[in-house]
Amino acid sequence: MLKNKLFIICFFVALNLLAQVNNDIYSLENRVNFANHLYKETDYLRAIDEYKIILQNVENDTIRFRFANSFLKLNRFDEASENFKTLFFTSLSNEAKLFYFKSNFLKNDFKLFRKLVENKVYLPEKFYNEVNKLNSISYFLDNEILPQQGILLNPFEDSLQTKLYLFYQLKKNPPSKNPIQAAIFSSLIPGAGKIYTGELSDGIISFIATTVSLYLSINNFQNNHQFRGWVFAGISSLFYAGNIYGSYISAKKFNDESKNKVQNEIESFFKQRNYFLPQIEF
Amino acid sequence: MRIILTKFLFLIILLENNFAQTSIEEVYSLANKLFENKNYFDAITEYKRVNYFDTKKEYSFDTNYKIGLCYKYGGFYENSIQYFYDALKYSKNFDNTFEIKTQIIRVNILRKTIDRAFQLCNELEKDVLFQSKTDEINYWKGWCYIFNDDWNNAELTFAKTYLGKDIYLLAKKVNKEKLSVTFAKVISYILPGSGQIYAGKYISGLLSLAWNLVAGYFTINSFLEQRAFDGIIVGELVWLRFYKGNVENSENFTIDKNLSITNNAMKFLQEEYRGLKP
Repeated sequence: MLKNKLFIICFFVALNLLAQVNNDIYSLENRVNFANHLYKETDYLRAIDEYKIILQNVENDTIRFRFANSFLKLNRFDEASENFKTLFFTSLSNEAKLFYFKSNFLKNDFKLFRKLVENKVYLPEKFYNEVNKLNSISYFLDNEILPQQGILLNPFEDSLQTKLYLFYQLKKNPPSKNPIQAAIFSSLIPGAGKIYTGELSDGIISFIATTVSLYLSINNFQNNHQFRGWVFAGISSLFYAGNIYGSYISAKKFNDESKNKVQNEIESFFKQRNYFLPQIEF
Repeated sequence: MRIILTKFLFLIILLENNFAQTSIEEVYSLANKLFENKNYFDAITEYKRVNYFDTKKEYSFDTNYKIGLCYKYGGFYENSIQYFYDALKYSKNFDNTFEIKTQIIRVNILRKTIDRAFQLCNELEKDVLFQSKTDEINYWKGWCYIFNDDWNNAELTFAKTYLGKDIYLLAKKVNKEKLSVTFAKVISYILPGSGQIYAGKYISGLLSLAWNLVAGYFTINSFLEQRAFDGIIVGELVWLRFYKGNVENSENFTIDKNLSITNNAMKFLQEEYRGLKP
């Protein structure tokens, strides 16, 4: 009889204890739920704190992946790649390797990224082509010499080849104006160099300013106004020399702007398409 | 056997106590402590935790409101407004609703989306529910005008409320001290340099007057001596430049002076004003 009583008491106490553990807001299970909620809410900073405590008590691949991905979402690439690295020999190996490469790619240290790809140590079998695409994109995004067109474009689908070929050509030969040529044009006809670089109004103003001051100088000399003649000759020379220098600078500016424009277009193209990476969430 | 049973029960009670659970109340009180200690980052975490586990939504108003405040104090105004709107859904009474709505106006003032703050003030003003809160609404409307650099309307609006006597006097003082940019420009057109003197830049004003007199003399003299070309060149390249510069300087100096006056007033509001601030 007493034994039965003891059993019943034990049973209810155990049930009670179990219920309490579940009610404990800071229990491991509740922490996981809360951390996942923060992660879904994109509050990655707080999700990291929660995941960190969880991972101190238990190792779980999905949680580790989310932990690493939270760092990635916050642009903390070093911490992200370190954590993805710890998943290389787990069931999430392929995904972790891909995200490891993604973390290193987003660091913008493309030389280092390409070295990692060349080493082939951590290349994910399942996402081999995605990493190759990242490798090609890295050439589009930095200022290194572009490899052969075929090597660069091969990882991409046929539907993208035309667009990428255009980017390849633009990157290799962006629209440019020769600064020396612009300077020579302006030395022959004041303002011509500016017009050559696309600055029409500047070119016309330069032409008028130089020729008018030259005319005034000649006119004053002819009328024996030596002092004024020299003043206008000086002004005219300044306009003339300034216009040549301005044309040279204008061509350089044109080249820089055109290079930046091409680069921005390429960058936004790849960024909008998430660098052709698959959406992976656990 | 009874002794064993007693010992066993004692052990169970001990175990139960050691297995201390943390309840929502405790987390909420911890969050409040963190909030009071201005540890807003951790306070947000704990309030969010309460929010997540509070399935009955008993704490939803308070937690969302406090999260909104934490984000506001941290300067994350977008998040702050988002949580204030969440709190609004769980508002328990009329005062709660009004408090949240004014908090949203205050955050809009802080993030300088003044048009939106005005819009919200006007909505509150038109709402029959808040007819008894006209003083508070006018007080925040006055702040909107201050952040909109419209001290004249700020003064008029604060005059309508008993809440901001000090701030009303400040707005009045600023209004009195501020200079008219148009007046400065007009007198500069009439007498070069006078606009700069009006803005308190005496040396600059006198120099400007002198340059204009000299350049004007040479220009007019050239025309009188029938040297039309010289007159045009000196007039165009020298006199006109000084004359134009004098008007531009008058405008810039007056704007700078006004900016200095309003900056001092803002500094006072930030550091010394004891009334409610956004």
